[in-house]
Amino acid sequence: MENIRVWDLPLRLFHWLLAAAVATAFISGHLGGNVMEWHGRIGLFILGLIVFRLIWGFVGSTHARFASFFPSAARIHAYLDGRWQEPGHNPLGALSVFALLGLLAIQAATGLCANDDIAFQGPLYPLVGSTWSGRLTGLHELVGNGLMALVALHVAAIAFYARVKKINLVRPMLTGTVPASELAGARQAQGGGLFSFLIAAALAGAVVWFIGGGHLALWLAPPPPPIATTPAW
Amino acid sequence: MKLKLTLALAAAALTALATTSAYAQISAEDQITFRQSGYKFMAWNMGRIKANLDGAFNKDQVRAAANVIAATSHSGMGTLFGPGTDKGIGWEPTRVKPELFKQGAEVKKLAGNFAAAADEMVKAAGDQATAKAAFGKLGETCKACHDKFREKE
Repeated sequence: MENIRVWDLPLRLFHWLLAAAVATAFISGHLGGNVMEWHGRIGLFILGLIVFRLIWGFVGSTHARFASFFPSAARIHAYLDGRWQEPGHNPLGALSVFALLGLLAIQAATGLCANDDIAFQGPLYPLVGSTWSGRLTGLHELVGNGLMALVALHVAAIAFYARVKKINLVRPMLTGTVPASELAGARQAQGGGLFSFLIAAALAGAVVWFIGGGHLALWLAPPPPPIATTPAW
Repeated sequence: MKLKLTLALAAAALTALATTSAYAQISAEDQITFRQSGYKFMAWNMGRIKANLDGAFNKDQVRAAANVIAATSHSGMGTLFGPGTDKGIGWEPTRVKPELFKQGAEVKKLAGNFAAAADEMVKAAGDQATAKAAFGKLGETCKACHDKFREKE
């Protein structure tokens, strides 16, 4: 039986690493204490994943590309009318994908500027200062709850497909393929080769290094000079 | 002579009155300002401990910082949450939740946990590994109260 390639390997890796990272970030953020260090590291990892995905949306294989699943009004209309037959994200699912990516980007950006009023400061804290860091921390907590709601909707949709529509969405996200018999007339996903992957991964790594490593803050807002000798009082 | 005695008595009475009232009665605004200052000063010291844990560990600095936090935790800061301080502006608008003024037993428990963890922090200040563990526990007691009794920004 022939299989149709739908999700390329980098996309699948991205998806499952993101799922694990978001779950870990959620738990560590609520635990606090020394675990906050890990919350910060995981946040940087998620930032890297998001940057990678944004690039992969242009250089990845067919169904990873934003243009291929951009939820235009015409496409949503076609989907709701039952005229949508393409593999990959359907137009409603695409709305969810863009919402998740957008919220995650906001979450990563606000987390970089956040502080927990106890012992944690994001690497961009020096850039925004304490007042704005406080506000962005509030937003970070708010967006975190919004994200959890979207994740719940995401999982509920997959359960709905499995139970009601009898379509397994999890297996293709693991194997990358769908049996040709389930996708009449679909073509193999094209593009997204090793070279594209290396470029996207290198750029994502560079962004994380530059922002997360504190280089951006150091460059834009140099710290005050240190005290040469600690006074005795 | 009689006038002198009267004046002296009046002065003594005024002094007594002034000392008791001045220290016992702090305006709501000042209570909020004082407690915000206490938390801010502790924040500086938490940051100092963290800097020592992340970089070169100087146990004297850690102990000095831990002492500030422990002393503050035992200072009776609860008196700065008097009537009328549920709303108002100190250095900035207070973010205390109204629940704090209704759940005395819970606040006492969380404050006790905090003070106990702060004492442990002082004891652990001599060694980087134990200091790090104590610091994490201390931060958790801060968070427990923030989560319950402080509005998010």
